[in-house]
Amino acid sequence: MDFAIEFQHVTKTFPGVVALDDVSFAVRRGEVHALVGENGAGKSTLLNILHGGYSEYAGTVKLNGTPVQFRNPHDAIHAGVSKVHQEISLVPNLTVAQNIFLGYEPRMGPLVDFHKMNRDAENILKRLRSPLRPDGLMVGVSAGEMQMISVAKALFHDAQVISLDEPTSSLSSAETDALMSIVRELKEHGITIFYVSHRLDEVFDLSDRVTILRDGKLVGSYETSEISRAELIRKMVGRDVSTFATRKQPRRVQPEVVLEVEDLSSPGLFEDIRFSLHKGEILGFAGLVGAKRTDVMRAVFGADPVVSGKVTVHGKVARITSPMDALERGIGLVPENRKTEGFVRYLTNEANISLTCLRRFQRLGFVDRSLRRSNADTYIQRLNVNPPRSDFPTENMSGGNQQKVVVAKWLSTQADILILDEPTKGIDVGAKAEMYALLEDLVAAGKSIILVSSELPELIGLCDRAVVMKEGRIVAEVSADEMSEELLLNYAMEGVAS
Amino acid sequence: MKVRLDTYRELGISIALVVMIGVFAFINPVYIRTNNLIDIVQQSTVNGMLAIGITFTIITGGIDLSVGSTFAVVIVSVGMLVTNGVPPLVGVAIGIIIGLTLGIVNGLLITKMKLQPFIATLGMMSVYRGVAYVMTGGWPVVRIPREFRDLTDGRVIGEIPVSVFSLIAFAIIAHVLLNRTRFGAYLYAIGGNEQATRLSGVNVDRTKVFAYGFCGIGAALAGMVLLGRLGSGEPTAGITYELLAIAAAAVGGTSLAGGKGTITGTLLGALLLSALRVGLIVAGMDSFWQFIATGLVIVVAAYFEVIQQRLRFQRNKKPVVTP
Repeated sequence: MDFAIEFQHVTKTFPGVVALDDVSFAVRRGEVHALVGENGAGKSTLLNILHGGYSEYAGTVKLNGTPVQFRNPHDAIHAGVSKVHQEISLVPNLTVAQNIFLGYEPRMGPLVDFHKMNRDAENILKRLRSPLRPDGLMVGVSAGEMQMISVAKALFHDAQVISLDEPTSSLSSAETDALMSIVRELKEHGITIFYVSHRLDEVFDLSDRVTILRDGKLVGSYETSEISRAELIRKMVGRDVSTFATRKQPRRVQPEVVLEVEDLSSPGLFEDIRFSLHKGEILGFAGLVGAKRTDVMRAVFGADPVVSGKVTVHGKVARITSPMDALERGIGLVPENRKTEGFVRYLTNEANISLTCLRRFQRLGFVDRSLRRSNADTYIQRLNVNPPRSDFPTENMSGGNQQKVVVAKWLSTQADILILDEPTKGIDVGAKAEMYALLEDLVAAGKSIILVSSELPELIGLCDRAVVMKEGRIVAEVSADEMSEELLLNYAMEGVAS
Repeated sequence: MKVRLDTYRELGISIALVVMIGVFAFINPVYIRTNNLIDIVQQSTVNGMLAIGITFTIITGGIDLSVGSTFAVVIVSVGMLVTNGVPPLVGVAIGIIIGLTLGIVNGLLITKMKLQPFIATLGMMSVYRGVAYVMTGGWPVVRIPREFRDLTDGRVIGEIPVSVFSLIAFAIIAHVLLNRTRFGAYLYAIGGNEQATRLSGVNVDRTKVFAYGFCGIGAALAGMVLLGRLGSGEPTAGITYELLAIAAAAVGGTSLAGGKGTITGTLLGALLLSALRVGLIVAGMDSFWQFIATGLVIVVAAYFEVIQQRLRFQRNKKPVVTP
């Protein structure tokens, strides 16, 4: 058999996590090979290894039968392995042709040969049947056209293998169709396509074969025509549930509604969002990347300008237009990105924890440091922050402990509605378990929690109800009894139960 | 005992200062006569006040390039008031209000109109300078009354002028604001991570406006010190002073990226630059050398910052240590 890429016993570990565990499979030359799996299944890690993002790993990667180990993306591109990025990396103030040729501009002496550059770019764009002009600026270029330019860039580098990582997550349906035909076109030219997507329609439309990863392990490679959608989903989620925190006793969710969101819309992001949160409840938000869950939460919290819709907190209509308003209404947000939004670098744990509630520690206009310190110490102890020191710089701690500090920041405001956006992202297993126990404690103490998570077992293990979003809309609400990974994933991917 | 990196920094500048004084004293013993030392301190008061103000804006991750012009507006307006019979203390109060107002205007441009601090204050640097020229028609304000001059240039203890005590008082207020109040805590937080601070429910805009207002007050005080010392005020006063003020803050360990900086550091920075200048004169060096020496001090100090960062980074690369 003629293979373009072979992965043999590839293993990649990060401190505390095995991201890829002895993965072996092969991609045939000239096929469209889909790679699927839940968030955290190891897809991105695998792509990074193929494209030189990680140069240290165990096992072998072969390109055209020869073992290769790319030290950086540059090496990979030179060997004919290009990647079209999930977040498109193009320079907005250059022309289309300049973007395609960036770093490899044709020269005439010391000067750039713009004439040749534009001519060559035009040829490539023609091959892709793109209406884009090579000398046009990137201003007003749509996400789909950017995708096109990225593909053109790959073609210019004479790519034999092109990976597309969630290429359609930011595309409209017309643009998606256009991309599909480009992929078919590339295949006709004998280029091998490695296609990573959450969208089953695309996987079944395009791919010849599909490989499934789960928790860093290979489930298997299948001929796409020989596997059903239901079977594929089942294989993606077939996790050993017993390893995960499972619900102990049913929780006592009280009938009182603490937060009600009605008809919340933000054009281009999300529409008609409505849900309610009860006292003592953990309400889950499931969905894939691009479902706009984070945008909804930021809007509820007042971090992004509010559009249309009505938010009621404790029975009173609340106009929340800034985080200050949210703080006043007792709503706290633990944002998705700890480093850029969660805590402040340079500051100690004490300073970070008190940022939301310094007002309370004020005496005659001055901050009473002993009050501030004892507040920090209380939560550091309660959340088991390690090192247990209020004067320790937050940025020097591990991810899990940083996350605890961010949570502590909101607990010390006495907020009773907490929105946690991917609170266990990038933290190790032990810290995750602690976070789950903490959430249980909080709802037992009468707090109400919205948990946005891409880890389905987490939602199933913790939530009393889950709302599923797909492309900016709520497609389902699932109760604890009916919740299963398969059902949630079906809704998230297909928008319907099965 | 916890030792912060800031403390190392301040220790470093102090050592540099002592070594420098030793060297100049060796070259020319006149350098360490009491009068000369007082001169060094006195010469650092104007820059010190400007630098303390600008430190507040730099801590937020911003900058105020208009301090030198604010300084001039205060000089000419207070000068005109007191020469026309306004009581000195009223003049001082009005001067502070003018500085505060101009600073708040900067703050509003930056927060409400969302201009970049560099551009906003670059624009206002020219506007305020123009205001100073227009007010006097380009002429200096002369014959400042003795009573006003005594407020800043009078002698209280021995030969030490009032302005030195004003600087100390201003520094203490600034230090307390930074370290003991909500305002100060928010300044550091904004400079470290504005987004996270906003998401913590902090009124970021208001805090920033206050920071620029405070910076304006620093410029006003500095202006009145100079007005008292010289006995006349020119609309051209303070041109390029913003750069010297930034230099003092930077030498003192204030990071231009925001989130870091202390008043002690800034004061030591101002003192170091002043000691260097006086030292070169006493050592009989051509005054042109001052520029070269000042520039080198800034670059060397910045390099120390880089080395410190690198050390810190290396320490962080080790696995998380539990003490």
